[in-house]
Amino acid sequence: VEPGGAAAAVISGAREARPSPLRRLVARAAARDLRAFVVPGPDVARARGLDLEAAGLRLSDTPRHASVLVLVGELPAGLKEAAAVAYAQMPRPRAILAVGAGDVSPLPEPDVSAPLGQEGVVSGVGELRRSFAEGAFAPEAPEFDVDAVRTQPQYVCPMHPEVVRGEPGSCPICGMDLVPRESAGDMHHGHMGHGHMDHERPGHEDMNHGDMGQGGAKGHDEAGHEHARHGDAHAAGEGEEQGDAHDAHEMHEHGGAEPEEHGGHHDHEEPGHEDPGREHGAMEHAEGDHGGHERHGGHEHMGHGDMGFMSMVAMTKDLPRSGDGLPMEWVEAPLGPLFPGLPGGLSLTLTLDGDTVAQARAQGVDGRNLEEVTGPVGGFAARVARLDPLSPVAYRLLATRAVEEAAGTPVDERTALARVGALERERAASHLNWLAGYAHLLGYAWLENRAASLQLALLRAPDAEEIARLRAEVLKLGRRVGRTPLLRSKLRGIGSLSDGVGALGPVARGSGQRTDARAEEEVYSTLGFEPVFREGGDAFSRLLVRLEEAIQTLDLVRKAGSVSIPALNLDGAYLDGVGAATVETPRGAATLGVTLEAGEVTDLELETPSSKHLELVSPVAEGEELADALVGVASLDISPWEVLR
Amino acid sequence: LTTLLVILMLLVGAYLVAVLEGWVSTGSLRPAGPILSAVALLGHESLVPRKPDRIFFEVAPPLLLISAVLAFAVLPLAPGLIITDLATGALFVNAALAYVMVALLMAGWGPDGAYAMVGGWRFLGQLIAYSMLIVMPITAVAMRAESLLTTAVVQSQATLWNALYQPVGLVVFAVAAMAVCFLPPFDLPTAPGELAGGVASEYTGWRLAVFRLARALLVVTLAAAITVFYLGGWLGPVLPPWAWSALKTLAVAAAMLLVGRYTPRLREEHLLAWCWKLGIPLALFNIFYVGVLLLVV
Repeated sequence: VEPGGAAAAVISGAREARPSPLRRLVARAAARDLRAFVVPGPDVARARGLDLEAAGLRLSDTPRHASVLVLVGELPAGLKEAAAVAYAQMPRPRAILAVGAGDVSPLPEPDVSAPLGQEGVVSGVGELRRSFAEGAFAPEAPEFDVDAVRTQPQYVCPMHPEVVRGEPGSCPICGMDLVPRESAGDMHHGHMGHGHMDHERPGHEDMNHGDMGQGGAKGHDEAGHEHARHGDAHAAGEGEEQGDAHDAHEMHEHGGAEPEEHGGHHDHEEPGHEDPGREHGAMEHAEGDHGGHERHGGHEHMGHGDMGFMSMVAMTKDLPRSGDGLPMEWVEAPLGPLFPGLPGGLSLTLTLDGDTVAQARAQGVDGRNLEEVTGPVGGFAARVARLDPLSPVAYRLLATRAVEEAAGTPVDERTALARVGALERERAASHLNWLAGYAHLLGYAWLENRAASLQLALLRAPDAEEIARLRAEVLKLGRRVGRTPLLRSKLRGIGSLSDGVGALGPVARGSGQRTDARAEEEVYSTLGFEPVFREGGDAFSRLLVRLEEAIQTLDLVRKAGSVSIPALNLDGAYLDGVGAATVETPRGAATLGVTLEAGEVTDLELETPSSKHLELVSPVAEGEELADALVGVASLDISPWEVLR
Repeated sequence: LTTLLVILMLLVGAYLVAVLEGWVSTGSLRPAGPILSAVALLGHESLVPRKPDRIFFEVAPPLLLISAVLAFAVLPLAPGLIITDLATGALFVNAALAYVMVALLMAGWGPDGAYAMVGGWRFLGQLIAYSMLIVMPITAVAMRAESLLTTAVVQSQATLWNALYQPVGLVVFAVAAMAVCFLPPFDLPTAPGELAGGVASEYTGWRLAVFRLARALLVVTLAAAITVFYLGGWLGPVLPPWAWSALKTLAVAAAMLLVGRYTPRLREEHLLAWCWKLGIPLALFNIFYVGVLLLVV
């Protein structure tokens, strides 16, 4: 097929339909209104200097409302899988734009691949518009059905739930045949009749199972992504969907009447009516997304059934009690790693008690380890810098200094100053990048736009003069933020860590501590550096600390007079030794210890602020309302990339 | 014919509101944006979630649309340019808007997704905050007009707009109006960034298009209600009456949208606390104050 021919032009997520003239018109409109869901997140795109909106994309908070999946930079395995789930959730027609992403499997081949950089994005979007306009509709749309959006079926013993196998067989304890289930909580699903709806459609079961598993057992993406199959199994299957729903309803109603049909629900046999209540609880733990309907199902079930009526007291008897004494069903809600209000890559698992967070757990980016960066000294700094796309300069500097320590290389004053310039510029940009993401979470559109554009300008600033101009702009921004109505009242008292124990960097300095690794460095004291700190220990004081630091930092850049990092200068061939260095990254002090043997980095030890801050997530989030918990967690500015195992 | 004309104006208003909203949220003005978005959405699949409450899921967007149009039906754009001049018009606005809550709650429950569910329940909380603040200022407006006819309300402002006669009422009503159409900073049920679209998060394709249209219509309706109740409706020199209505409505809509650009989203607990502890006393004071003015002046 010739390039540009009909078959070549079809995009990876075309919608199955004959391309009539009307559809072509629609496709052209869609091509001019591309909405992007960004993986790992808009923060990473900004940190890499990409302005997706300037390139003509509108950013979407959910893959449901997006038509383009944008992949920024190389993604670790965990994020690729999450991206595949997000892609499966997007309604067709949909396409993939990869910006310096390399291999993206299990996702399909990107429709457009561009090099990392703004020009790449701009030309990539142009190309994407063309292929979208031409290939949005095709008589035969490619399927997207990969392991990542599917899980292995599991077989479980009806009597011994702890017996779980990957294949059919019999239970080693009682010898009963194992029965299939979809995920941890699904035994109970079947009981409602919900679970069985999938089996009505031969051929698509796997897909459904997969989605289910994602929602329940693995909990990869945001709640609700179990709907992925719609995008895949049915390109335009309205009618079919309808049929589905009917089946589901039917099953649903019969669920109560014919319990014996559902092998494996021994709970049915028990007369106690508290069981369904408890089951719902258990189920929701596994499948956070279905909070309401399970309950709904439960009620119907009771109404139809053989179980009689049940009082609220009996139903809620065994549920956990929350602070106010009201029994509620606890729902586990996995947010992230692609949640729009958190740094891209950060996974947050919240156990919700109503809309209050009962438990919170956070996790960094999956699927990377420190060993990747060992190897020859040449290029070591660049490899370390790639670990964290949110603050590459700080990590490059950290690696450089650790190696210098190990090799005993002296650093002259000019180099030290230039390094200050580069590090401080990144700090300001990083704080502004955080501020843009934070403003998005807070629903403060002006601040989001303003902080993002200042951050980009700062990253791209060619010289100290431009940076001095930007300093004035940042100062104005800071004043404006201080005067914003409702902001203080929204943030005061949220994410409270009054003593700042266990915190580093701006989080500690927002709790009145003067912890700052820079204060101990000679070059900073010659520049007259004093750490910024504020009392309060809440989200608002962290915001103020970061704003003041962004301004202070730009003063330091001006005094340092240079913003380029000089390359690692190692003129000795005898590269052996052990050394460690500490750098105050934008998120706090990071320490790297390296062991050099014959010019190779053989061993290293890295301590990062974000891995410490992960532990602050539960004190900050627990007991708060969902929105406040998110605001509190986001105020910690955790970089999920710094969390390495 | 009048009906058609009014509906046409409503649609034009919704279009302009959509343009403004795009500008407010992204910072760039794209006059063709809403058309492109709508056509693009119609070209997309409209997915049905895995385990929907089918009726709730399907009914919610049209119900939101109907509720906005119904409320608009009793608002006059000019003498005679009104779909139906109900004797209970001012009250009917409030009654029609009650279905906004129903629609959003259904949209939250229907798709069986966590974000939508939280969003839906949040709006129920929001209703508890704003509902009294919609009714009580209307009461004071009707007191001055000595009628619930919306046309009579406009005529009662011939000498002095209600915005000046009872400014407290205007402030309270405007806040409540923004809460009804869940505009930022009252966008708790949709909360981009926090709930990833909330009640709208599971709608795609044409259903999402209907939802967005309904929301834009709702903004126009509430802006028109503020115009009629407080800004003298069609009254104004030189320009024809309908033009005054259109201008004022658009200006109000623009103001409502702009406020959200410069403020962070409210917290649910603050919204409830402020509405009840501050809003309701103010609304009561407003009724009392208007009563005294009517008796004394």
